[in-house]
Amino acid sequence: MGWLSKTRNKVILLAPTLAVYIVYLIVPVFIAIYYSFMRYSGISKPRFYGWNNYIRLFNDPSFGIALKNTCIILVMSLILLGVGSFFVALLLNQRLRFSNVSKALLFSPAIIASIIVGVIWGYILDPVTGLINNVLRSIGLDALALEWIGGDTLSPYSISVVYFWQQVGYIAAIYVAGLKTIPTEVYEASAVDGANFWQRLICITVPMMKGTFISVGVLIITGSMKIFEVVQQLTGGGPTHYSETLVTYSYDMTFASGEYGYGMALATVTFLISFVIMGAYMFITREHGERRL
Amino acid sequence: MVTHRSTRTLMYVALALITFLVILPLIWLVFISLKDNAEIMRDPLSLPASASFSNYAAALEKLDLGLLYRNTALVALVTLAIEIPITFASAFALARLDYKRGKVRAALYTFMLIGLAISPFILLFPIYRINHFIGLREKIGLVMPYISTSVSFNTLLFVNYLRTVPREIDEACIIDGASLGQLIVRVIAPIARPVLATVIIFNLLYIWNEYPFASIMLNDSANYTLSRGIAFLRGRYSVDYAGIAAYSVMIIVPELILYIIFQRNVMEGMTAGAVKG
Repeated sequence: MGWLSKTRNKVILLAPTLAVYIVYLIVPVFIAIYYSFMRYSGISKPRFYGWNNYIRLFNDPSFGIALKNTCIILVMSLILLGVGSFFVALLLNQRLRFSNVSKALLFSPAIIASIIVGVIWGYILDPVTGLINNVLRSIGLDALALEWIGGDTLSPYSISVVYFWQQVGYIAAIYVAGLKTIPTEVYEASAVDGANFWQRLICITVPMMKGTFISVGVLIITGSMKIFEVVQQLTGGGPTHYSETLVTYSYDMTFASGEYGYGMALATVTFLISFVIMGAYMFITREHGERRL
Repeated sequence: MVTHRSTRTLMYVALALITFLVILPLIWLVFISLKDNAEIMRDPLSLPASASFSNYAAALEKLDLGLLYRNTALVALVTLAIEIPITFASAFALARLDYKRGKVRAALYTFMLIGLAISPFILLFPIYRINHFIGLREKIGLVMPYISTSVSFNTLLFVNYLRTVPREIDEACIIDGASLGQLIVRVIAPIARPVLATVIIFNLLYIWNEYPFASIMLNDSANYTLSRGIAFLRGRYSVDYAGIAAYSVMIIVPELILYIIFQRNVMEGMTAGAVKG
């Protein structure tokens, strides 16, 4: 096999992918960091600006709000998707008739463009013309007809619900794949021992699904920190940056306000925050595994 | 696994209810698309007074949907035509060639998976600059970022699959006088057809739905892709609820049809990254 593994062959095979990957993925990260230390409005040359963009960021209340909203969405998504989809998956795994049809239908929102997901939910959440509030008003529950979007508090929660809708079938499908790996003998043995549904769930299913739970956690963390189109469509980050998330705020600063240096400082910090969260998550889940072993 | 009849009934009801709730927003979208704007404002819950497709006709007049489809298809075709061969080739090198030092292979593989952790949002402005510098504009400017952000996913899936194919095949082919290119194209690629289908469909859906890069690279409405077109409608004609709904339906339906046809591949592609991490 010496001939096949010649260096020349390897270079020919690897070079094109590596070239695109380095120029359009690795280098841009460093360019972003470079601009985060610059003052640049797009017209004149970028000027070195030291840590000023970062100092500004820590004194910027909108950044605090965006960070808070992102955390709300992250935690809500972990609860709704991480736990909710698991129960959906348990249902789908019950060998009910039509469960395959259900699975396919539940999965379908995951393939729809996020921008259209935003459009669709606008028709549902809009406080005046939306489905939810009109239904509530028509059955006399006017008090519950809240400002789901466009106000200054509920938007991140509404966005979490939308994200849940978008991903529930997808995450459930992953859970179902995980559930299929648990041998049925284990359940049969526990049934003989007289374990009820909850005992089986907590003592068998959950521990044996640990790997799947960890993967799902990674997907939810990275995914919920990338929610962009839905926020843009539903609230545009408003009113006055109240519903902004980290990615929409950095996008807004970069492309709408033309503050490229500050926008890149925001993007860099967002990047670091997601890295720290992922790192912490990996660390926590790893420690649990060791303790159990 | 004996379950009582009543709990089983309960499970049916729960599953039906959940499925209905998830489908409801899509039904509502179709519903809205059949009403006119005045109706939506006045009495959103009422049935469409005259279920007509006038919104569809009006939406098509505002923005050429055929053009959006052609633009999206062109970007997808060019991207896939470059991306699939090069990432398949590099995955072949990672999965099936010998390295004097095993660490080199492992380091390359890890390096090429880093992309899974890099959010596209930090890349937007830098890539805009790079494209500007190189001279790639509008639609063609989308090709490179679409490839680069897919390298890690493709590598993960291809390498995992190619490792399961016996190495003896390569030896036999080379002994029979096949060249490297012939080996990959004529022998390995046909074997890897399932994973190729999964990767192609996954990337096609990504390009079809992608918005952030499209929003910064496409300035001329003649170059708009589907997602970019929707955002444009939303921005310019924010009152035209019905028109945007009609538009959305016309974009979703083909997507759902594609999904129904390739359901297995779509689900596999999207869950593969999670199951095998």
